[in-house]
Amino acid sequence: MRARDNFNFTHTIFLLLGGVALLFIFAPLAGMFLSVNAPNLFDAATDKVVGNSIILTLIISFAATSISALFAIPLAYILARKKFPFKGVIEAIVDLPIVIPHSAAGIAILGLISRDSALGSLASSFGLNLVGSPFAIALAMAFVSIPFLINSARDGFAAVPPRLEQAAETLGASKIRTFIKISLPLAGRSVVSGLLLMFARGMSEFGAIVIVAYHPMTTPVLIFDRFNSFGLAYARPVAVIFVTVTLILFIALRIYQKKRW
Amino acid sequence: MVKLTDILFRADDFTLGPITVELETGGYYAVFGPSGSGKSMLLEIIAGLRIPESGKVIIDNTDYTRISARKRPVGMLFQDYALFPHMTVFENIAFPLRVSGLNDQAIKITAGALAEQFFISGLLSRSISGLSGGERQRVALARALAHEPSVLLLDEPLSALDEELREEASKTLGILKKDGQTVIHVTHNRNEVTDLATRCYKMSAGKLALID
Repeated sequence: MRARDNFNFTHTIFLLLGGVALLFIFAPLAGMFLSVNAPNLFDAATDKVVGNSIILTLIISFAATSISALFAIPLAYILARKKFPFKGVIEAIVDLPIVIPHSAAGIAILGLISRDSALGSLASSFGLNLVGSPFAIALAMAFVSIPFLINSARDGFAAVPPRLEQAAETLGASKIRTFIKISLPLAGRSVVSGLLLMFARGMSEFGAIVIVAYHPMTTPVLIFDRFNSFGLAYARPVAVIFVTVTLILFIALRIYQKKRW
Repeated sequence: MVKLTDILFRADDFTLGPITVELETGGYYAVFGPSGSGKSMLLEIIAGLRIPESGKVIIDNTDYTRISARKRPVGMLFQDYALFPHMTVFENIAFPLRVSGLNDQAIKITAGALAEQFFISGLLSRSISGLSGGERQRVALARALAHEPSVLLLDEPLSALDEELREEASKTLGILKKDGQTVIHVTHNRNEVTDLATRCYKMSAGKLALID
């Protein structure tokens, strides 16, 4: 009741303005769900191609996030704790994937893995073609989404009082033990948030992936493909299923995160 | 025994030292002075959290000047106690014991004995957030002493407590003196150490002087 008492004129205006922002997010999605044709939805739900693409998208995004975490979390810690020359430049580099067009990111990654590149020719010598492979999809997903993990984890580590790390040291703990037992658990909420954001962003990526690997098809590419080949009526049910799966997954993960941290 | 010889430390426009002092084992040494005089800095140098520009930190006849904090026979009670908020009271006290490689049974016995010594046996399963200031101080003391340091450093151990709790907490510090623990206690309030200290030093603008 106290919250209602404190709801003054300014808050009411803010609520109305905020409501417009909320409606802007909610209305197109609600419209998509309401206008989907039931038989088409059933066909899409039982279509193995759709199911396989969703599984592929989830697995690759999970793998890309897990492997990236090994490198992103230490970098986030260093950025949070240490002062060094050109730190601002490094922070700007971390944010680059957010600001560049994702089609450009796809072109950059294609240059990294094409047969002409060092990595591509090395893979070729083993009979592998990286372009159009799950590896290429993972690289594209990781590239566009890693800033979310690094930035969130960095903010989490920065919020851990350095005093606690010093206390652990005076109690005999090594730097790595202090990191694992003190810094990481205390920054856990932000790190997990970053992991979830990275996973979600990777999963939804289209622009970079479509350039490095049209096949095997991730769901965002499949939605585009269905739209291009068959029109809105066939693309919409796939989009509805994908959004539903991701919503259920993220609500479950957020509930788990809130309970755990 | 703690022996500091010609310790010099500079941070921005502040200079600590040169400081030369010898503190015998088992003494309760008080260092008082105003905020910003370098008291906490001195403790951090002894603890190994800061490395002096020159001079030596010798503890029990071993030169620890360039040795990391984790390898020094030093316990430290921070001003805000620096208890680990994601751990219970028991886990906080057990932390240095686990680090030293003790098995679970030995950890339980040692942590239990420390908890008894500082009257916190009933708090072992409690989380840190639910403790009063005085309880936090006792938990932090038990934790700082768990790995049996040669010297215990107390950084303003009573300043976070209100008037009522100070007397009780001061008695807890008396336990350390009675047990023959070497203690260096820094404070801005001389009155809080008059009954405890065997020797008093004054810190002013980075210089240390013996008072009595």
